[in-house]
Amino acid sequence: METNLNAIHIFKTDIKNIDPACEMRKTLDSDSNIQQWSIDCEDVDCVLRVVSDVLKPDAIIGMINDFGHECQELN
Amino acid sequence: MRIRDADKEKLVIEMAIDQIVRDGFQGFSMNKLAKACSISVGTLYIYYKDKDDLIQKIGAITALKYFTSTVKNFSPEMSFEEGLWKQWENRAAFTMKYPKEVAFFEIIKHSPHSEIILDSIKEFADFRKTMTEFMENGLRNKELVPMTFEAFWSVAYGPLYTLLNLHTEGKSMGGKPFKLTKEIMKEAFSRTIKGLIP
Repeated sequence: METNLNAIHIFKTDIKNIDPACEMRKTLDSDSNIQQWSIDCEDVDCVLRVVSDVLKPDAIIGMINDFGHECQELN
Repeated sequence: MRIRDADKEKLVIEMAIDQIVRDGFQGFSMNKLAKACSISVGTLYIYYKDKDDLIQKIGAITALKYFTSTVKNFSPEMSFEEGLWKQWENRAAFTMKYPKEVAFFEIIKHSPHSEIILDSIKEFADFRKTMTEFMENGLRNKELVPMTFEAFWSVAYGPLYTLLNLHTEGKSMGGKPFKLTKEIMKEAFSRTIKGLIP
């Protein structure tokens, strides 16, 4: 099934690399409200892409801020 | 509310192919692509997870387009000579109509993306099956000399791709202007087929 475009949230971050064992990865992986997520660390904007029907952008920004990273929605 | 914009998607594919052919994978970035398409980077990431995802998705679209056009009006049941000529015609038509896509496909072919792309296209297995069947029929009907696959391929398609490369460059040896015509193609084909039939 095709992903609902309105469930895809895109953010600019300062996450330049992401350790396979880091807490942020574990949190995002285990959140049942998140269907899929990825970070393009190679891009200048270190773009975070989250697919979630439930979470609002502000909630995702809050989660990332809690791990000490900047996060801003890209429109 | 986000709505799929087919025209924008087409533009993204076109510009991505353009940039990769011009700058290679290294010089290509999502930011540059977004700028060239006058869309925000965010929009680009709606459709693609990252640069690799974009290359692989666009690669799959291009490969599928190529395989589909290669087997147009072609059947593995055709006589070997007729079938191989149809292959020449179809491959030449595609290269002449879509030179950038072919250049892009060449870059992809020699990259680590190639296997992922081919595995993602269900139709590629059908294409390979059709071409194997065609070769086996030729052998069974004694219209084709048995030989190593790579030797067969280089004889059967080598001359065509050499001519197509000259055509794409627009010049032949010594910089002489060159345009591939059906007559020249037929000339090369008539000698090629002689090297393949018993």
